[in-house]
Amino acid sequence: MKIDQILKTESKIEEKVFTVSEFLDFINEVLRPCRVIIQGEIGEKINNYPRFTFFRLLDKNNSILECFTWREKIENLGMELESGMEIRIIGYPEVRKDKGELKFQVERIELIGEGILKKQFEILKKKLSALGYFDLKFKKPIPRFCENIGLITSKYGKGGLKDFKTHLGNFGLRVCFYDARVEGSFAIPEIQEGIRWFNQNLPKIDVLVLTRGGGGWESLQPFNSEELVKAIFASKIPIITGIGHEDDETLVDFAADLRASTPTHAAKILSENWKSASVKVYEFKKNINVSINNLLRNFKEKVHFFEGSFNSIISKICGYINEKIIFFEKNLITKVKREILLKQRELDGLVRNLSFGFQNYFRELEILERGFERNFLKIKSLIKNQKFKIEQFLENLIKNKNRWRERMEKLLKQQEGKLIPSSPQLKLKQGYTITSDEFGKIIKDPARLKIKQTIQTKFYKGRIFSTINKIKKYARGKI
Amino acid sequence: MPEEKFNFTKAYQEIEEINEWFQGEEIDLDEALQKYEKGMELINECRERLKTAENKFEEIKKKYSNEE
Repeated sequence: MKIDQILKTESKIEEKVFTVSEFLDFINEVLRPCRVIIQGEIGEKINNYPRFTFFRLLDKNNSILECFTWREKIENLGMELESGMEIRIIGYPEVRKDKGELKFQVERIELIGEGILKKQFEILKKKLSALGYFDLKFKKPIPRFCENIGLITSKYGKGGLKDFKTHLGNFGLRVCFYDARVEGSFAIPEIQEGIRWFNQNLPKIDVLVLTRGGGGWESLQPFNSEELVKAIFASKIPIITGIGHEDDETLVDFAADLRASTPTHAAKILSENWKSASVKVYEFKKNINVSINNLLRNFKEKVHFFEGSFNSIISKICGYINEKIIFFEKNLITKVKREILLKQRELDGLVRNLSFGFQNYFRELEILERGFERNFLKIKSLIKNQKFKIEQFLENLIKNKNRWRERMEKLLKQQEGKLIPSSPQLKLKQGYTITSDEFGKIIKDPARLKIKQTIQTKFYKGRIFSTINKIKKYARGKI
Repeated sequence: MPEEKFNFTKAYQEIEEINEWFQGEEIDLDEALQKYEKGMELINECRERLKTAENKFEEIKKKYSNEE
């Protein structure tokens, strides 16, 4: 297929004339996607530089492949490359433009042979442990009841997926399954990607489970890689591993937050709490019911007890109160009786005093009545005498009336004769006048008048009104 | 705001606490009745949740790996 692609490309560029550089770029572009795995033995010449290494890969036919790798890839291996070491390399070919040589770009190196793998395992375990990747203090807690589970395993694997599903029980859990290769050189990047995917897209899930069924020691190698240990360590979601058989121990297991020995075990760990909860929930119900019933029964008994005590106390109190009432009643009757008797006596005394007083009053009243009667008769005869005297006096008065009148008339005439010469009318008749102000007040002193004031002068026959022009005052005593 | 989803872990833990409380001495009746009511409610909710038997199994489609 790749050759077809190249041919197809060639037909497209039929008329194109490359420069050497352009052609090599073109070739490299075509070669780069060709990821291959090659197995062989390391040659004698190994050139180590601080950041990269050159070595040769040989086979029994004396074929040679020139290889280039970054220092970091050798560090991931946990040990240095040695001549004669059997390895498997993953990468792609490239033509170096400066030397015109083909160099294989090594992306990953895997060791071959159980002996060397065990050695590598121990070295990496020591190294990663020293770096703290397996420290218990970094372990994330697994939720008690995991409802949302992320599962990373291969859908084509022999046991991993099936065993896990079978033993998870049925508790309404949600399992998001991410298919990844779990064996071979491509397992590592795929599992890495799976862990990254869950952390990025479903960060809220409760737990991640990484499983793989049993297999040979070599087939479990991806789980002994530094890359996967680091990926697990970096995950924010807690991870349970269940890899291989019960006795298999991988580096990934040390890095996991919880290690299950197999996929079945991982499933059991997750379902165990659910299983026990579905039983215990009934026990709790029973326990709580029993407790509350006991409590209510005790309470009822206490209430009865208190009720009895209360009743007896109440009847005691009532008895006591009754006795007191009877006692007070008796006392009260005696006291009241005594009081009534006392008051009755006082009342009798008062009545006696009162009737004695009344008798005295009546007696005095009788004496007064008799006295009054006597006096009344005297007053009556006195009034009669006075009445007679008044009648006599009136009679005399009438008799003397005419005589008195005549005497009075005569006396009046005598007085009139004496008064006539001093009459003002007579004075007017004689030619005198009377001057008064506008209000009729007689003026005796002109000093009280004012210029322009109107005055009136009365004559015997009529009067005049005049206005003052001049006032001349007399000295005192002068007329 | 959507209704708060039933949290089984929280509910179960609360049931355990209530159960433990009932095992203690000097229990106040009013509090007991309140806890009883709460306990029964939680137990019923947990039982309802436990009735959901079938697990849901879904495979992630990597092509749409950016979507859930």
